[in-house]
Amino acid sequence: MNRYNYFNNNWVRNMQTNNFVKPNQSLYSPKEAFEKGNLFADLYSQYKNYKPITLKANTEREKMLLELSQIAFAAHELNLYLDVYPNDSSMIALFNDYRDRANQLEKNYEQKYGPLTVDSENQETNYFAWESGSWPWERDFNV
Amino acid sequence: MFKYCKKLQFPVNIKKKDLRMAKYLVTQYGGSNGELAAALRYLNQRFTMPDDRGKALLTDIGTEELAHVEMISTMIYQLMKDATLDEIQKAGLDTHYAEHAKALYPTDASGVPFTVAYFATTGDPLADISEDMAAEQKARAVYENLIDLTDDPDVIGPLLWLRQREIVHYTRFKELFEYYEKKLKKGNNEFSAADQMEDKMNMNNMPNMNSNWTTEANNWNNDLMESMNYNNNNYLLEKMHADNNEWFM
Repeated sequence: MNRYNYFNNNWVRNMQTNNFVKPNQSLYSPKEAFEKGNLFADLYSQYKNYKPITLKANTEREKMLLELSQIAFAAHELNLYLDVYPNDSSMIALFNDYRDRANQLEKNYEQKYGPLTVDSENQETNYFAWESGSWPWERDFNV
Repeated sequence: MFKYCKKLQFPVNIKKKDLRMAKYLVTQYGGSNGELAAALRYLNQRFTMPDDRGKALLTDIGTEELAHVEMISTMIYQLMKDATLDEIQKAGLDTHYAEHAKALYPTDASGVPFTVAYFATTGDPLADISEDMAAEQKARAVYENLIDLTDDPDVIGPLLWLRQREIVHYTRFKELFEYYEKKLKKGNNEFSAADQMEDKMNMNNMPNMNSNWTTEANNWNNDLMESMNYNNNNYLLEKMHADNNEWFM
């Protein structure tokens, strides 16, 4: 598997001092992070008494889309973090895990409900599946 | 290049039309602190970032801002969709209707059209990233003003979420700023070739090479350089020894 991790040598990995890594990052679960808009507990800042909305999926399609959005968001948050701290091996491992899961969830969703990207593998239909169905701004599946 | 993903980054499902709110919200589409200005600012500034950290961060945050443009646009579209002409006139959106009917158009809350004068590029990474930090803070403040102006939970939800993104982006820009400030203190706006190679090889993460220089580490280092088609070992090693105290502690 292609990992964005260059320290495949454990001896070197153990030798790392990781001095440009922030210690003790406390992370929310992907579900909580997605609702809050923030994966990093120490960065979260509430506005007045407003609490994040609770997202509820009513159909199988909404459930699959929500789960994909949650995991993809967690991977994206780690992506931004790793842009600045590219040497944080534990975050790289977590990024790879979320990335794998998001790709799998996207594939599962597309197999059932059509392509999310035009180059999706799930385009083998006798109509042009990409343009069919509604577009994100007119979705009622937006949870 | 860019790839489109046919979904919103965060769900928007507004059931109640509210032209007054649409009129305010449009400022986060085409206003000075809006998402469109943010996306163009970062995607424009990224070309002259001095290293891969900056190029990656501005590309990735700039791309996310495009997803926020789509969210804000969706909110405005859904708030206006079912309005009657009479309601549009009463809400003072008749001036918008004259030019655009119910179509979207990037302006601020007073109807001033979007302009690229809302952002700058100086070619100086510290100056540019300072602007980015300020932009995120200003957008956060605007989201708070907008949240104050509505009581519809379908509108407040995505606004709270977008506000939180400004906080995360601000933090990442600040971290990059502090990193560059330290690294660019000699007054150069560009990193040297050795600096960039050092960055690529994660060398600032390695323990002190002077005291821990072992055969195993040496072999690993050579393998790595070979795999990267980088053969000028002496150049890098000299650089590493010269900068040792500053970067390998």
